[in-house]
Amino acid sequence: MKRIFAFALLLSLMSVLVLKPAGSYAGEKPDTTATPVESRMQLAYLCGADSVILTATLNLKKEDGTVNLKNAFIEFSASNGESAKSLGKFATDQEGNAICKAPVAGLPADKDGMINYTAKFTGNKKYPAAEASFKAKPARIRLSFSIQDSLRILKVDVTQKNLKGETAPIAKEKILVYIPRIFSLLKIGEITLDDAGSGTLEFPKEIVGDTLGNLTVLAKIEENDNFGNVQGQNVINWGVHKQYYKAEVPSRELWTPIAPLWMIITLIIMLAGVWAHYMYAVYELIMIKRLSKREKPPLF
Amino acid sequence: MENEQNNPLKEFAPQLERTTMQGYTWILFLLLVIGVGFYAFLQQVLHGHEVTGMRDNVVWGVYIVNFIFFMGVSYAGALISGTLHLFKTPWRKPVIRMAEFITVISLLIGPCFILLCIGRLDRLPYLVLFGRIQSPITWDVIAISTDIFGCFIFLYLAVLRDLALLRDYELLKLPKWRKKLYKALALGYTGTPEQQQRLNRATDIMAAMVISIAIIVYSVLAWIFSVTLQPGWHSTIFGPYFVIAAVYSGSAVLIICMWVFRKVYHLEAYITKKHFVAVGIIMLVLAAFFGYFTFSDYLTKWYGSEKNDELLIQLLFKKFYWPFIISNYVGVLLPLIVVGLARFRTINNITFTAVVVVVALWLNRYIIVVPTLESPYLPIQDARPEWLNYTATWVEWSLTATGVAVFCLLFTLASKFITIIPVSGVTGEEKKEDVLI
Repeated sequence: MKRIFAFALLLSLMSVLVLKPAGSYAGEKPDTTATPVESRMQLAYLCGADSVILTATLNLKKEDGTVNLKNAFIEFSASNGESAKSLGKFATDQEGNAICKAPVAGLPADKDGMINYTAKFTGNKKYPAAEASFKAKPARIRLSFSIQDSLRILKVDVTQKNLKGETAPIAKEKILVYIPRIFSLLKIGEITLDDAGSGTLEFPKEIVGDTLGNLTVLAKIEENDNFGNVQGQNVINWGVHKQYYKAEVPSRELWTPIAPLWMIITLIIMLAGVWAHYMYAVYELIMIKRLSKREKPPLF
Repeated sequence: MENEQNNPLKEFAPQLERTTMQGYTWILFLLLVIGVGFYAFLQQVLHGHEVTGMRDNVVWGVYIVNFIFFMGVSYAGALISGTLHLFKTPWRKPVIRMAEFITVISLLIGPCFILLCIGRLDRLPYLVLFGRIQSPITWDVIAISTDIFGCFIFLYLAVLRDLALLRDYELLKLPKWRKKLYKALALGYTGTPEQQQRLNRATDIMAAMVISIAIIVYSVLAWIFSVTLQPGWHSTIFGPYFVIAAVYSGSAVLIICMWVFRKVYHLEAYITKKHFVAVGIIMLVLAAFFGYFTFSDYLTKWYGSEKNDELLIQLLFKKFYWPFIISNYVGVLLPLIVVGLARFRTINNITFTAVVVVVALWLNRYIIVVPTLESPYLPIQDARPEWLNYTATWVEWSLTATGVAVFCLLFTLASKFITIIPVSGVTGEEKKEDVLI
């Protein structure tokens, strides 16, 4: 009998063992011990009103994929081929990005007004060195707003510094106009600049702004061979005023200061019912005690 | 004098009068375990929850598992004893007292574990002072305190006749203070028809009450989990699932207690194979229900393919593979095989199965609590990797062992204070067969 029982137990345990699947699960930590093969760096450039923003992204190409490198120091510099200016060292974040913001004024430019930006990771024993560079000419986009014949007009003026250091217009370039929304930029039009470096666009009427109707408008030159990415922005209250409506769904009653009535009534009924029975049982015990004082017949 | 000679207490007197060397050793061992637990508790008070495995991500660990387990065992005791009493089950007498003791003793230990989960015990009064009826924690506090009162009243009503017998049995060699205590607790009960009528009425009412309260209270405990939006917890089936799991674990604990007291106090004549099989069949039915509820719960989650539910199920089948298999496969199938097939139905086999079921049900609570907290809807940001997962520390294991030791100690002491089998209603040897067995 005992053997049959032991056999049955063993059989059930063996079936359980057979059931165990193989493979990895979502919570497993990735193997980070594989040797890196190559460090890679990308450099993004954006020219604003008075400053440039350089974003260097550092990652490692490994046998099992690409991994962003965190807390690595990237050295940024600007040069004109003859002299260089250090823009500082910045650590990478979790995404492997190090961001450097530097004023345009005082950056060394070559005879064509071009500035060569460099981001450099010197490397260490574990991770190899990496470097990326980008060449661009500083430019500036100004946005202004006006109303002409009841039409809302957006005007852009785009300038650059010439060899003498004077401000000069940028002609014939294409400007893209956007309005930032929650998840992306909403494109509202394109402007081609005239010889004076200016261009206009009729501003749409139905765009929703904040509660005061304010809209942030961006004008951009994108991936230009000479100027790279240039961006100007301004705020205007031409948007439709946003209004918040109270949702027509019941709020979570459990967050209210006072419990819902049905809950209070249910609780009172239940507790009163239970405790009334308790009281009755205790009453019966008291009566048993009182009865003992009156009569004492033989036990059992 | 003839009455004294025929008194059924005569047979149980050694249990109450004397403690053997093995008995003292057993109590000393339990006190040692409790001592280690006290040291662990001091460590936790002095250094805070840092000495436990609980962190920001997994805020509950084995303490809450023990809380659910002991509360479940308690409600099971109430349900089993209440049902056996209410339906006047013929074989109930040798097991009903143990079920009543299980109810009250577990109910004293369980809430202590929830207190161990609280980091700031000094804020405990706020729960009453600023308690919100909408909060499931408030429901639980109200429910447990109500249940404690009810179970104590039920136990007291159930032992009242035996207390009167102990008061009146003159041959019992006990210290005076104990005799005085029996006298005070017996409330002057002498068994007059009116006293019997009142006692029966009160006991019947309280039996019905403890059954209903046990179901409500354990459902409330389940709702603490199921009303929260957490993968694996947000389930409408959790209330009845917890109740079934509780009665299931409680029936297993009852079988273990029966086996232990049968051996220790040589009660082979009273607790027979018939009783083990009867409680074993209750365990078998509950195993089937438990398996059905478990399957239903996981099937709907798996088929729904909600992202976090799928991740949770993957976690259960990988990292928590063995606890999952032992609790949901071995814990269900073993009683079905051992109790279901007549050839395996021996006292030892049923007891062994009960031990497996207790372990399985403890693990069941563990895999309900920990894997869910390790796979939340909104993962914690920028935390240390070791904080994301839970591993119980020696402090938690010590206090868990202490909970079990306190349970055993209180059970031992209770069995020294009052007979482990109700003896009232037996007036002669010839009636023992009818009343006790």
